Formats: sequence, C-alpha cells, structure tokens
Amino acid sequence: MKLAIANLLHDRIRFLVATAGIAFAIFLIAFQASLLNGFLAASSKIIDATDGDLWIVARGVPCFDFSATLPRRFLEMIRGADGIASVSRMSMAFVEFRKTGGRHQVVALVGADPEVGSRFPVPHIAGQPNAILPDSVLVDHSTRELLSVDQLPLNVEINGRRARVTGEIEGFSSFLGSPYVFTSYREATRYMKMGPEDAMYLVARTAPGRSIEEVKAGIQAHFPEVDVWTRAEFADRARRYWLSQTGAGGSIISAALLGFIIGLLVVSQTIYAATMDNIEEFATLSALGASRRYITTVVLVQALIVGAIGCLAGWLGALPVIRQATALIAWIQAPWWLPLAVFPAGLAMCALASIISVRRALTVDPGQVFRA
Amino acid sequence: MPDCLIPEETVSVRPVSVKTVSVKTLSAKMVSVKNVTLCYGPASNRFRALDDVSLDFAPGSLTVVSGPSGSGKTSLLSVMACLVSPDAGSVAIDGQDTGKLNQSGRARLRAEKIGFVFQAFRLFKSLSALENVELGARIAGAPPNRSLARARLIEFGLGHRLDECPDALSGGEKQRVAIARALIHDPPIILADEPTASLDSHAGERICELLRRVAEELGRTVVVVTHDQRWAGFANRIVTLSDGRVVEDKTL
Repeated sequence: MKLAIANLLHDRIRFLVATAGIAFAIFLIAFQASLLNGFLAASSKIIDATDGDLWIVARGVPCFDFSATLPRRFLEMIRGADGIASVSRMSMAFVEFRKTGGRHQVVALVGADPEVGSRFPVPHIAGQPNAILPDSVLVDHSTRELLSVDQLPLNVEINGRRARVTGEIEGFSSFLGSPYVFTSYREATRYMKMGPEDAMYLVARTAPGRSIEEVKAGIQAHFPEVDVWTRAEFADRARRYWLSQTGAGGSIISAALLGFIIGLLVVSQTIYAATMDNIEEFATLSALGASRRYITTVVLVQALIVGAIGCLAGWLGALPVIRQATALIAWIQAPWWLPLAVFPAGLAMCALASIISVRRALTVDPGQVFRA
Repeated sequence: MPDCLIPEETVSVRPVSVKTVSVKTLSAKMVSVKNVTLCYGPASNRFRALDDVSLDFAPGSLTVVSGPSGSGKTSLLSVMACLVSPDAGSVAIDGQDTGKLNQSGRARLRAEKIGFVFQAFRLFKSLSALENVELGARIAGAPPNRSLARARLIEFGLGHRLDECPDALSGGEKQRVAIARALIHDPPIILADEPTASLDSHAGERICELLRRVAEELGRTVVVVTHDQRWAGFANRIVTLSDGRVVEDKTL
C-alpha cells in the first residue's frame, strides 16, 4: 500500500494527469446521467403529478404527449365500473399560442379536472382548489421568456380564443421543444375545439380497500378497446417510449457511455504508462519474491486512489455546471443518488483500466534485475 | 553507539536483533546445483549458457563466481535464484528441490531464503532508504519492523540518510541500503550480482568487507558474481566459468 501511494506521489505530474482524466470522464458521466435522469423524469412528469390509480387511454397510446381521443361514452362507463371511486378527465394537444406582439408559438396545452392531483397545475382561485379561473392558463417559469410572459396576468390568444396567463409554475418544463401550458379541462376542450365530454385520458381512483390490479383487470376485460394502466405502468411506458423509440434517449446514453469509455482509455493509458515507467521495480518485486497478490495490489491501489480522487474532483466540477445548465436545459436533474452511482462506476472504470497494467506487471521477466 | 559504523575500517553486520546463524545448524549444502544445463534461443540455434554445471555452496562461505562476459555467471545466479528453470539438472535450496515448486512456491522460496544485491541497486525510487529496507521484510512476509530496519541502516553507516530517497544517495550508500534490505528478513542465502561494479574503489572495498562479514559472522551463504578482481581478497572460494562450464573451482 505504501509503495503504491509513494509511487503516485513520486510522479505528481502523472498523478495529476491521471486524476484529471478520470475527473473529466466522471464529469461527462455525471452530466449525461443528469440529462438522462431529467429526460426520463420529464417524459413522465405529467403522469407522475396525478393522484389517480389508473389511466385509461386510447389503444396503443405510448405516452402522454401523443394522445388520441377516447369515445365519449367511456367517461360514464368507467365511472360506473366496479371498484372505481371517481374519474378525472385530461386532454392534451399542440395548439397555437399567440404571444404579445402577435408572434406565434406552438405549445402543448394540457387540460385537467381540478381533482386530478394535488401536485397537478390547474388554474384555480386562491384557496378554492375546485373553483377554476375562467380563460386562465399557467406557464412554467422556464418558458417565460419563450412565451414572452413579461407580466402577470397577461392576455394572449390560444387557437384564436382569448386566454390569460395568470400564474407561473415550477418543474413542468417540456423536453419536446413546445412548452407546456396548463389549464382546466373545460377550458382546454374549448381551446382544442373538442366536444365537452370528449377526453383523451381518464384518470381513475379506485374505491378504498379495492385492489388496484384487480380493478384494472376488471376494466380491461370489460373494455378491450382501451388500454388500462396503473399510474406507475403508464409512467414507465412513457419513459421507455422516449428512451427507446426516439433518438433522444439513445443519444444521451451513448454520450454517457462515451464518457465512460473516454475515462477508461485515459486512465488505462495513464496507469499503463506509469506501470511501464516502473516496470523494472515490478521486476525487482517479482525477483525479491513478492507474491502475485502483492504486485496486483500495488497496481490496483494506485488505480483506485486515482479513481477515488478523480471521482470526487469530477463530481465537484459537474455539480455547479449542472446547476448552471438548468438555464439552458430546464429539465436537467442530478438526483441525490447520482454520486453514489458515479463513484462505484468511476472506481470500476479504474479497476478495469488497471487490468492490462496488472497483467504486464505480473508477466515482467524478473531475470532482468541482473541486467545493469 | 556512533551513527556511522561502516566508514573506514569498522563494518558491523551483527545487529542486535539478528542472530548469528551457527553453521552447524544449517544444511552443509545450502545451495546445490547439480548437472545444470541452461539453453537460450530457438531450437535451430540453441546457445548453452550453462553446460552441465555442478556446484555446492556451504553456509558461512563467500564464493566468488568469475569469468569473462558470456561465460554463464548471471545465468548461474538466475538458476540459483529460481528466476529461470534449467533445461536439465536440478537446483536444491536448503535441501528443497526447486524443480518441484510452481511459480508461487519459487517466489515464496526466494522471499524467505534469498537476499539479493544487484549491480544497479534496484531500490524503489519513491521510497526512502528506511522504507526500502522495510519493504524487504514485508515482501518476505515478516511483520513490518521499522526499528530493526532503522538499526540495520544505522549500523551500515546510514543513520543520517534514513529518510532520503535513492536519488539522493551515493552509489555506495545505495548499495548499503540494498544489502540492508537483503538482510532484513534474515535469509540464509545472499546472491549478489556485480555488487561493486557501479562503485568507486573505496566504496567497493567497503561492500566487499561487508559481505565477507555477512558470510563469516552471520553464517550466510554468500555468492558473488563479479568481474572485480578485488573480491579475491575477501572470498573463501573462487569459481571460474567459461562458455557455461566450470573451468576452475578454487578454495582459498
């Protein structure tokens, strides 16, 4: 152990280069993982914000953002289904938002009944959760500039109808390119020019004491023309869709992997070069009778020390950058567990990177110690 | 006790914590090389580095192996150190046939039974003199004993250089650190490869005297491979090799 540490400290430039290499890799991994985490969270944000147990959606709808209208008879049929306590309606459509000064912006308009979820943004009168403000919409703080919302309330037009931006919310930035705008279900049907009983999603709460799975199975059996998901299932389906069916998830994962590979190569190269620089010392260790385990430990400990310090530096570098990045990418999110995941990844990267060096140190000819 | 015992005429090799080994308690043949042949190169062009060499080395003796370049001196040392396996013949260390040991067994045997002194010193450049000596014990599986390492270095006249890294030491100092490392775990055999080749005459003579006393006073089996004629005055025996064969074996 002492030899490993002494070797690292003896060549401080190399030590710094190796640490910087791993720090850069960890920075990349942490940043990409935050992008991925934020992307996944954003892709199911609307679903996760509801309180309902079951989502009833048109057949084949993969996520909240690609909706289809349900036949209007379903609302009453689901309300009357066995085990259902209440049902809320939701709709979503891309509509034209006319900003101050007459400029246009396509937005994703989301309308929901007020009881759809306590965390769900619906414009209601202060202190009266079920009293909806007429013509009222909410926008996310991160889209304020894009939508030219420079004051509140602000009169705008949605699909040619008058609307008022009455409030700002946090944490509902869209990753689609079109910002989310929230309103009540009734106002949404008006802006979307839907029938008053039309809905795209039905969010149902099961009766107390009833098994969600059993109620789900019962509804699915009675209504095979719709898909019935638990909230967690639909959220997972949405995340999987965005992750696997679009290029976005793939590109983020690729970039994270790229970070890992870059780190692996940098650290491999550095540790290998350090091992080769000290190869005569490894030959001496071998000649003196050091066990394979001892030699492996020397190389591995060097790699892990570099890894641990590099991980810490990389993470400390990534945190402020991720915070700053929220100005550009509102949905980027570094979860609390990310350092716990990144550290083992970094250490594993270093251990992996040291394999070639360990092999080289173990196979060096100890007989070379007799050469001057 | 003065800090420096090695300069000039007084060289101590009997630290308090290391027992002098009675020659009688050791095998009469600490190292036995029997009919050893060692070849290098491809089958079409085999070079015999050692050709049917048989030698025994007794405890308490300092044997000098000499001969011209390419005569097989270093090959003999490599075979005795279990660093290479002979193509024919056998090597026994303290009665143990090394041919029956696997790689780990040979490494363990080296660690426990053999102390090495190299021409190029082979000290670890990132460790201090004291740490280098300690490492010798650690590799041999002995518990770290800093006070013993310190005592050994002080007795070798390096009390003022304990915390210096090898780069800061002179050639003679480096070699004394290397000898201290070789002795720290109390091995019965010391194999030295040209230990004075990189040293000036004064430092070289100190090393000769030191290893003579290691053999004589501690009862170690010391084998020195060298071109250096000065060793003749310190050795009990001189073996001369030529073309891989023993051409002279002279007891003094």
